[in-house]
Amino acid sequence: MEKNLDRVMEELLNKPGVYGCVFADHQGLCLGVKGKASTDSAGVIGAIAEQAAKLEPKSKMPIIHLENDNKACIIHRTGTVTGAVFKNVHG
Amino acid sequence: MGCCYSLFCKDENSSQSGEPNERTHLLVDPVSNNTNIQRVNSEDILSRNLNNLPKKTDEQSALNRILQETATNVIDVAALDSHNLQQHEYVERMKMYNTKVQQVFATNKNKISKKLNSCILQDIPVPDKILSTEPISSDDINLITSSVAAAASAIQDIKVDHKEDLVVPFGLNC
Repeated sequence: MEKNLDRVMEELLNKPGVYGCVFADHQGLCLGVKGKASTDSAGVIGAIAEQAAKLEPKSKMPIIHLENDNKACIIHRTGTVTGAVFKNVHG
Repeated sequence: MGCCYSLFCKDENSSQSGEPNERTHLLVDPVSNNTNIQRVNSEDILSRNLNNLPKKTDEQSALNRILQETATNVIDVAALDSHNLQQHEYVERMKMYNTKVQQVFATNKNKISKKLNSCILQDIPVPDKILSTEPISSDDINLITSSVAAAASAIQDIKVDHKEDLVVPFGLNC
């Protein structure tokens, strides 16, 4: 079942600075969430990845990096799966 | 020419009488304002030419008059807006507009600040500093690509374990 996905998310949260992650399918439905992240954001993250990909349709899938002074959100899509990683930024 | 000009003459008369009609000039004629050229009816010129001896100088002056008349009837639109802004004028206007904006902001502070608060995006003081920074570090790229790829392959592995029958006999006494 989803044990593999759980393990992937667990490993991701152990990386330095990462405090949350969300994975969504091609329709924006939540596949998994761990840490300080909301299942509600899955749809938005899927939509952001989809719209960003429309900017340059011939290029490979983009990495979207949203950042403020102390936090960052990195979004990327591979195949039908869209993932978002929330990180603390220092400096 | 005489025929054409008769239209202008009518036009001239009607505009002088003060009654606006479809032939009244909407724009002020800049050429006729700038130059003090007397408008002469072309029929007068022709009659004068006929009465006088047809000398070459008269012909030349008549042609010149026709040229001047034409010039008075031409509105040079490009020349109307020939005033070019100088550098200090730009700065002065910028200051003036800034003070105006500040005044409007001061008088309608309550209204405007409400709208500003509802806006998520805000001005940043030094945009070039932020724009010049590296968009994303290679560590982050590796992190996101590897984790999403791992998640995608993990999701491929998701399948339904068959544990019990989907259709269950319910309340039937066999």
